[in-house]
Amino acid sequence: MKLVKTDKRRFSLKSTRTTTLVLATSALVLAACGTTSSTSSTSSGSTSQPSGSATSGNITWWASPIGQVGIRANLISHFEKAYPKIHVTLESAPTNTDTNRSQLVTEISGGSTSPDVFMGDVIWPAQFGAHGLAVPLSKYLPSSYFAKFAPGLVAGATYKNQVYGSPLFEDQGFLYYRKDLLAKANLPVPKTWQQLESESLTLEKDNLVKYGFVWEGDSYEGLTCDFMEYLTSAGGKVVNSSYTQAQLNSPAAFKALTFMRSLITSGASPQAVTTFQEPQAMAVFDAGNAAFLRNWDYAWSNSQNPADSKVVGDVGVAPLPTFAGQSYPGYSNIGGWNLYINPHSKNVAADLTFIKWMSSTEAQTILGKTYSEIPTVESVRQTLAASSSTPPPLRVAAQTRLVPRPAGTPNYPQLSTAIYTNVNGALSGSMSVSAALKAAQSQAQTALSGGL
Amino acid sequence: MAVVAEVAPVVANTRNRNGRRDVHTSRQARIGWMFSTPALIFVGMVTIFPIVFSVALSLSNVSVTGSGFALQGFTFSNYSQLVHSSTWRYALGFTVIYTVVTVLVELVLGTAIALALERLTKGRGLMMALLLLPWSIITVISAELWQYIYEGTYGVLQAIFQALGLGAPVFLGSPTSAVVSMMVADVWKTTPFVAVIVIAGLVMLPGDVYEAAACDGASAWTIFWKITLPLLRPTIAIAVLFRILQAFGVFDLPFVLTGGGPGTATTSLAILSYKVMFQNIDYGPGAAVAVSATLLVVLGCLAFLRVFKAQVGREEIQ
Repeated sequence: MKLVKTDKRRFSLKSTRTTTLVLATSALVLAACGTTSSTSSTSSGSTSQPSGSATSGNITWWASPIGQVGIRANLISHFEKAYPKIHVTLESAPTNTDTNRSQLVTEISGGSTSPDVFMGDVIWPAQFGAHGLAVPLSKYLPSSYFAKFAPGLVAGATYKNQVYGSPLFEDQGFLYYRKDLLAKANLPVPKTWQQLESESLTLEKDNLVKYGFVWEGDSYEGLTCDFMEYLTSAGGKVVNSSYTQAQLNSPAAFKALTFMRSLITSGASPQAVTTFQEPQAMAVFDAGNAAFLRNWDYAWSNSQNPADSKVVGDVGVAPLPTFAGQSYPGYSNIGGWNLYINPHSKNVAADLTFIKWMSSTEAQTILGKTYSEIPTVESVRQTLAASSSTPPPLRVAAQTRLVPRPAGTPNYPQLSTAIYTNVNGALSGSMSVSAALKAAQSQAQTALSGGL
Repeated sequence: MAVVAEVAPVVANTRNRNGRRDVHTSRQARIGWMFSTPALIFVGMVTIFPIVFSVALSLSNVSVTGSGFALQGFTFSNYSQLVHSSTWRYALGFTVIYTVVTVLVELVLGTAIALALERLTKGRGLMMALLLLPWSIITVISAELWQYIYEGTYGVLQAIFQALGLGAPVFLGSPTSAVVSMMVADVWKTTPFVAVIVIAGLVMLPGDVYEAAACDGASAWTIFWKITLPLLRPTIAIAVLFRILQAFGVFDLPFVLTGGGPGTATTSLAILSYKVMFQNIDYGPGAAVAVSATLLVVLGCLAFLRVFKAQVGREEIQ
């Protein structure tokens, strides 16, 4: 009896409750909309005189872990010795670059004043610049500041004539090879892609190694990097220089992709490379199961660490090969990280001091000499390349030819997706090379016009 | 004593029916509102506001700036962009097929397991616990386990195939096998969920119907099709609805196993929405993908319920 009664009463309340719920919700929504419109109307008015003090204050530095452990803390402690009144707090960012970016975008577009300085990928400047998520550094720093960096890096950090990122360290594709295996089979270090393929097959046939050549073939950003290297060596491009016309359905692209697919069909690369990202490729090579590896600079220190690697002392580093008939070496894709400033930072002057110090000879030498990251400052690079104690990738870097990804458009993520999904489709054999390039071409064209 | 105490207010209530009842009720109501307001505000903030905001995003030109989202104007362009995008159409197709296949398989397997378990006289608790193990593991973690099984160079499954002389397939390397592999992982994880719901339904079934059927000499097969299954319909409907809603939003499995590849073979609507929003920083179209997915799945569920109710109704008339 009692239960029924109570229930009835509850039901009679139902309609009022619903009304209030609706009212409460709409009030919330209205409040939220109000906030949105008011924040969006305040635009970040920037002057060429940075806010705050250049020699004191607190700044937070958002950076994902760099190669070896301790780099970030070491750099901070050296900086704080040089500028004792500036205190830097490290905020460790996610290692996954996309997660890293989405967190930053959420925080900065939400108006957060922290982090002040963030370490971001070299392919971000156009996207961050176009959305006002980073301070145009060239408003505060003279062009002489940017002149000291190695060629191509500042151009890559520029969007619409403004430089958004200060290059911190660079990365690029290298060919890692097994010195011991090549010596056993009496083979030279390959200078053409075709030679790399045939040597891989020879080494496999002689039962010297399980797989010939491992690289990054998964459906993700890293495959765009690998594809750029073959494409550029074959003489092709992704887009025209004004980013209006995709150029992926070309004979050069056909040559590049056909060759990449042939690496798998011939057996020079395992079928599984179509699921490999950097760690998987590196693991197979370090376990002694592959003769050749395409990877970034950090793969070197990994291959020389006995805890991770069975091939310590047997690894050689060379520039990437090119296609037969082209001049050696082939092209290496540019990776690496820049430093950017949050437009809401309260102490831009101190941020700039930090950024300037990070491109100083002292910081760049620490990065290069102690941690074998490739410095971005040309003079430091030359000094290190001349020294015989420098790790091999840094010496080889001086001989390589570089190609950036076509990241000069804010729609680069869509453009890259158009490339890597279709290239991966062709590699896995689910579509023909020409069908993949045709699809990539039309999706890239849609991407350039801002489509899905 | 306790009984008396409980009865007393009831009597008081009935007596006051014509007199002070309204005053009493409204006071009760006020207290009720006082207690429920925090919860309502909470629900509004965490559930209703995000939903309304996504819809607003999907119907606006959204520009992301350093100082927040700016929603400008009312537009259907985000949706028309979807309809014209082959990527979205593919993701929709994949999500629908994935949902239909996994839910069907899970339903059949789950019901079979439930029927078997219900007959168990010993060790039912233990079996239930074992059964629930896959369901209790967080999907991201179980996806990592499956990643280890499917891996293309040292994977467990590949090693088994090799040992049996079946070659060395790369399960996540081709579109069809990647889709099937993902469905298997999903079925492994969520069949127990269906089984548990169905067991609950089985336990509630009236015993007399079965006795009557046995008296009439019905075979076990007939009993299952004519009695058990029709009586289980409401239970199955609940299981299916839950599963459709979950499967349609599949994100964690493809995110961990394939990242949406090979090519775009395993890009579900949720993965697409994530990519458009957080990689491309295109909030308008990204929200449109999310809202379209929600609308479609709600419509799908409503259609399912309608068909289902019609079915039940017809049988009642018979």
